[in-house]
Amino acid sequence: MGLLPDEAKVLPPPGIVNRNSVWFGLCGWATAMLHNSLNRRPALKAGVHRQALFTTVGWFIGYHLTKYENYKYATLDRDMNEYMRLHPEQFPEKEPKTFAEIVEPFHPIR
Amino acid sequence: LINEWLLCTLELFSRNSFIASKPDPSKPNMLRVGLAFGSTAVLWALLFKQHRTDVHEYKTRNGLE
Repeated sequence: MGLLPDEAKVLPPPGIVNRNSVWFGLCGWATAMLHNSLNRRPALKAGVHRQALFTTVGWFIGYHLTKYENYKYATLDRDMNEYMRLHPEQFPEKEPKTFAEIVEPFHPIR
Repeated sequence: LINEWLLCTLELFSRNSFIASKPDPSKPNMLRVGLAFGSTAVLWALLFKQHRTDVHEYKTRNGLE
């Protein structure tokens, strides 16, 4: 992992099919099709090698981006939980109220 | 033979109006196509390898296997 430190390996890795991969893959494919259209070639049938390459590059970038995103969110969660552990007075346990106590009385006007 | 190949490559990347030609879709540059498909395959292989390594690392570090 280039951008990620060693501790990031504790996190579960994203699946091969993940949100960022699909999105970036589709963006790559759209770029290839746009390239075809702007050069007055049939969008879908021309330059299949280009479409495949762009989709793959997008998919690859998406996978690593998902890993980076997971690590960033995990660090944020860890820091938040650590803060909550060190300052319990700021997070008192409140008794759960029922809806009957919160909701205003209903006066039907029929 | 070697000169023909060199000339073809030169024609692709030169802007000399004496030897330049419009890109012809009926004569694909098989080298470029081969490189594109080849790098596609390499990237997919890298991705699957990285995923496999990541899963193994995760399982090892969390004592699951």
